[in-house]
Amino acid sequence: MLSSDNEEMTSRRNNLIILGLMVVLIGVAVYYIFVRQPVMQATQLGLDLKGGVSVSLQGYHTDSSEVTRDEMDQAAQVIRQRVDSLGVTEPEIQLQGQDQVLVNLPGITDTDRAVEVIGRTAQLGFYEVLGSAGGQPVSEGEIKQTKEDLQSELEKDPAFQEGKTKIIFEESPPPSGGGTVVEGYVVPQEPAITGGALESATQTSDQAGRRQVQMTLTSEGAEQFGDLTQQIVDDALVNGDASRGRIAVVLDEDVVSAPSVREPIYGGQVVIENQGLPGGLPQKEAKDLEVVLKTGALPVNMQILSVTSIGPTLGSDSLRSGLLAALVGFGLVLVFLLVIYRVLGVIADLALLIYAFLLWGLIVAIPITVTLPGIAGIVLSIGVAADANVVIFERIKEEVRRGKTPRTAVGIGYQKGFKAILDGNLTTLITAFILFALSSGSVRGFAVLLAIGVILSMFTAVSVTRALLGVISDRGFHLSARMMGVSKESIAGGPPKKQTAEVR
Amino acid sequence: MAFEKVDFVGRWRVWFALSGVFLLLGLGAIVIEGMNFGIDFQGGSRFTASGVEGNPSVQEVRDVLPNNLGQEAIVQQLGEGGYDVRTPVLTQEENTEVRQDLEEALGAEVSVTSISPTFGGQIRGQALQAVAAALLIIVVFISLRFEFAFAMAAMVALVHDILITVGFYALVGREVNLVTVVAVLTVLGYSLYDTIIIFDRIRENAPAAGYNRRRFDEMANNSIRQVVMRSIYTSTVTLIPVTALLIFGESTLSDFAFALLVGIAAGTYSSIFVATPALCLYKAWREGSITPTAPRSAPTR
Repeated sequence: MLSSDNEEMTSRRNNLIILGLMVVLIGVAVYYIFVRQPVMQATQLGLDLKGGVSVSLQGYHTDSSEVTRDEMDQAAQVIRQRVDSLGVTEPEIQLQGQDQVLVNLPGITDTDRAVEVIGRTAQLGFYEVLGSAGGQPVSEGEIKQTKEDLQSELEKDPAFQEGKTKIIFEESPPPSGGGTVVEGYVVPQEPAITGGALESATQTSDQAGRRQVQMTLTSEGAEQFGDLTQQIVDDALVNGDASRGRIAVVLDEDVVSAPSVREPIYGGQVVIENQGLPGGLPQKEAKDLEVVLKTGALPVNMQILSVTSIGPTLGSDSLRSGLLAALVGFGLVLVFLLVIYRVLGVIADLALLIYAFLLWGLIVAIPITVTLPGIAGIVLSIGVAADANVVIFERIKEEVRRGKTPRTAVGIGYQKGFKAILDGNLTTLITAFILFALSSGSVRGFAVLLAIGVILSMFTAVSVTRALLGVISDRGFHLSARMMGVSKESIAGGPPKKQTAEVR
Repeated sequence: MAFEKVDFVGRWRVWFALSGVFLLLGLGAIVIEGMNFGIDFQGGSRFTASGVEGNPSVQEVRDVLPNNLGQEAIVQQLGEGGYDVRTPVLTQEENTEVRQDLEEALGAEVSVTSISPTFGGQIRGQALQAVAAALLIIVVFISLRFEFAFAMAAMVALVHDILITVGFYALVGREVNLVTVVAVLTVLGYSLYDTIIIFDRIRENAPAAGYNRRRFDEMANNSIRQVVMRSIYTSTVTLIPVTALLIFGESTLSDFAFALLVGIAAGTYSSIFVATPALCLYKAWREGSITPTAPRSAPTR
């Protein structure tokens, strides 16, 4: 521990470098938190704190083949376009793992609409109708039963062939009166024309002002459509009634409409409409249809894993209680350190305040979205940061009790304490890393903030406190045992001997 | 110095018995009452109403629910004007219906979380993997930084802490969810940190060569005495903010804080009274099994 003047100079310079670095970092943090934007907008809050809808989806193929990362990338792009056209501000779309995607939509609470627009595969198909049944309005509660009845009725239809055809349904409001018209159709297993034939889709209205969605097909698609309608007319003629032919427009296994086809249609214009309602398609439905048709089909089917909607009141309640807990905890820790370690406690408190401020700066600068679990991570990291000082200061007290001078004790305390802190913090980092690697969503927020807090605390609780102690002792401030909270009686072998040693 | 009279290593039977009582209580609760798993792990829906006026009873909230959901749902009051309704897996339409019914009847904002059973299974799998991976990597880490004997002892203490935390959960019937697993992993890291501080001192005090049971045990005792105040202060420093979370945090944060509170208390105890005696017993057993005529003077590393 004996040091030459040269080493003393080096340690002094190191202390100044560390304090200088600290001042620069605080300056940078001030810029990010207060200057770059109003302080109220500095921190990005997660959905659980400001309200919004979060949907987690898993991609799959109906033939259970594996979903590739490329397909999920495409799916994420399609979802982004759909969300953008809904006008949601700052949506977040993240791929998670091999086949999952998380969509965060701040500021909205309508989960149904979100799920409808995001999760819809939007696989468009045109089918020839081979047989149909139903068409009577039923009440809300009877829909399921009616479908089951129609299913068994249609399975007896001569047109139905297991494996070659399938049965799909249409639900629509009746021209007059209440309820829902349920109609079942027998159609071929595979569509004659798919969404690939679609060029564009726009919302328009017919002569009567009813809202409809107009689809324009590609030239190749238009030709296929002409052939399909020709086929339908021919088949109807064979069956004896030329006017009975129908085409089913199907979106994701639901029949959108099934108009009659009296003559082949060329030209490539197809309309989705609802003549049963005075205004045509309901506004939201028309808009959503336009969006999903325009942005195209998802390359995979989507299964909903979880849907969360957080109201703004719940969000701000959570934020308030989380902040209150963090502040109260922080304040009590400051008081505790002061009581136990006196002058050393003042330095530790100073370091802890710097820690908290720099952590905030990092959160804003990176930026990290603060969630409820994130607040828990921050609160816990306050404990970890304070603990580094407890480890060092306890060691210093111990050395003082053994009869070392406060100066020597401080040197030993940092030297020996650091090893224990490093090992301890490495284990915390390991846990944080595992949490991050093996989990998703909100848990990651906790892991990230815990890890950043632990690393930052190594700087503030070890380097900064040491530099501060070094600088004040260079200014001729002498720490006594009492100032560290060590009573005279507990010191072994009477008052400490004079020693020449330095805090480094 | 504090704790001068306590024989941490020699009286291990007393300390282990004390842990045993808590472990039995917890395990008994798990067997008898079972774990109260949340929707994260098995799928289902949760509706949180906030800002409810007029302070309705839990039964009144239950009556609002459509169809037969009233009997199946778990309804809880959360502080002032807050209610929590947990139901089995519902369809998207049913979720909307329940939400609208609650919003209308209570005149409050209702937040919804719905999780499919598939996703619940995935989360459960991930959680178990995370705990297993953490334990495994930690054994390797301690074996590298210290030696295998320390890793074994730390592992005993960790399993002890996990079982006590989980047992307490079953005892008080709190819901086990993803947050609980995060808390358990945090406790794991924390308790390990505490153990490592003590082990670090044992490593520092251990003589370079030669194992002698009496000497090693005495040295371990002294090491604990040297750092025990630190252990207690550290726990206090960590428990202060955790207690603040328990008191001021809303349901998620307070659940998290509860698990941490139990886990950190158990972790502090186990670092002192379980990990170190376990280390000494393991050392004694291993050295004894190599040459039954202890003491011996071969290097231990």
